[in-house]
Amino acid sequence: MIRGRAVIGAEILIVTSARPNKNVSSGSSEAMSDLLGRVATSGDRAAFGELYDYFAPRVKGYLMRGGSPADLADDLAQETMLKVWRKARLYDPAKAGAATWIFTIARNLRIDAARRAAKPTLDPDDPSLSPEGEQPADERMERADRDKKIKAAFEALPEAQHEVVRLHFIEDAAHSEIAERLGLPLGTVKSRLRLAFTKIRKELGDLDA
Amino acid sequence: MRNIRHHPKPETLAEYAAGRLDEARSVVVSTHLTLCKECSRSVVDFEALGGACLETVEPEAMQAGSLAAFWERAGDQDILVSPSMHGFEAANDFSLSAAQPLGAYLDVDVDRIKWRAVAPGVSQHVLDAEGYRDGVLRLLKIAPGVQLPMHTHKREELTLIIRGAYRDAIGEFRPGDLADLDDDIEHAPTAFGDEDCICLIATSAPLVFKDLIGKIVQPFVGL
Repeated sequence: MIRGRAVIGAEILIVTSARPNKNVSSGSSEAMSDLLGRVATSGDRAAFGELYDYFAPRVKGYLMRGGSPADLADDLAQETMLKVWRKARLYDPAKAGAATWIFTIARNLRIDAARRAAKPTLDPDDPSLSPEGEQPADERMERADRDKKIKAAFEALPEAQHEVVRLHFIEDAAHSEIAERLGLPLGTVKSRLRLAFTKIRKELGDLDA
Repeated sequence: MRNIRHHPKPETLAEYAAGRLDEARSVVVSTHLTLCKECSRSVVDFEALGGACLETVEPEAMQAGSLAAFWERAGDQDILVSPSMHGFEAANDFSLSAAQPLGAYLDVDVDRIKWRAVAPGVSQHVLDAEGYRDGVLRLLKIAPGVQLPMHTHKREELTLIIRGAYRDAIGEFRPGDLADLDDDIEHAPTAFGDEDCICLIATSAPLVFKDLIGKIVQPFVGL
């Protein structure tokens, strides 16, 4: 059922920093989670290869936005995918989207890289491979649903808010630098972020609409 | 754990999830997260938002032959295929909170900390959490009845109550509560109850406490 996803992945590759086409992108997100689920249950190398082709270049882009030079970003992107491969059995598609999971792994590696740069003696293996406690099944199911809603709410944000949220999560620049780059007062960047977060929480039903 | 009444602002949790906080702040937030289910859930939400953002990143082509190199690096080590009994293991096992609970920064039990007196009834213990970006992490111990001088914060300050309690104009803070203070908030917390109030505090700039009694007030400005 997942065959042919590489084609969809290739379509996505053409979409660059502009907002992706919503339909293609959400379809593909689920496809990626399915692929990762397949890796988790059967160690499917072909499925992993498709995941790699889709995510490794994005993770590399993310790390470069975080200030890593291309070579290091390439290496760390590979390391991210190595963790994905080795820990894939812990992945549960019912609980989180593949993108969410891979984001957290890449983010932690980015932090570790920054920390290593500042503190060379620190044990590079130090980070956090210890599992969280188990979650009840109903919470996990709800989690997958929330992931989808969050992604949809993010994609439905007005362009101005969408942009600051993207920069918040991807760029390793202070909010003041982001404000400068966008030619906006810092207060505007912060209030757009707050508005976006509030809107997303409303979509989740966490706040009264 | 009792109901936690004071939580980090959503923006702070969003910064944490994005990996934007300095090390000191992320220790304070992650310690709160180990106690607060509600905020943990918010962080996972923000991580999902981060995942959505990751998909919008402009891809950077990997070096030629990257996947082949990857398999070489991965070696023969196949993943451990999950037996069904492991099907319920947490997927998100790379959370920051697993990485940085307070315990990792304390080489001794809270009861054996070597406190350094900074004023009558107030002592502190600075923790080594200056790993990346600015930020200072310290434990502060305030004896019951002692009030800190009124102070503001040069930048945001995060304070997590570990033990005991204090009250200020905002309210009462007890273990697990986190005060997420803007730079414009002025407060003069007073410890109350039967035991010392121990707080974990992350501030932006290094701060030197002075033992001289005449400088008691000064050190708290910008604490």
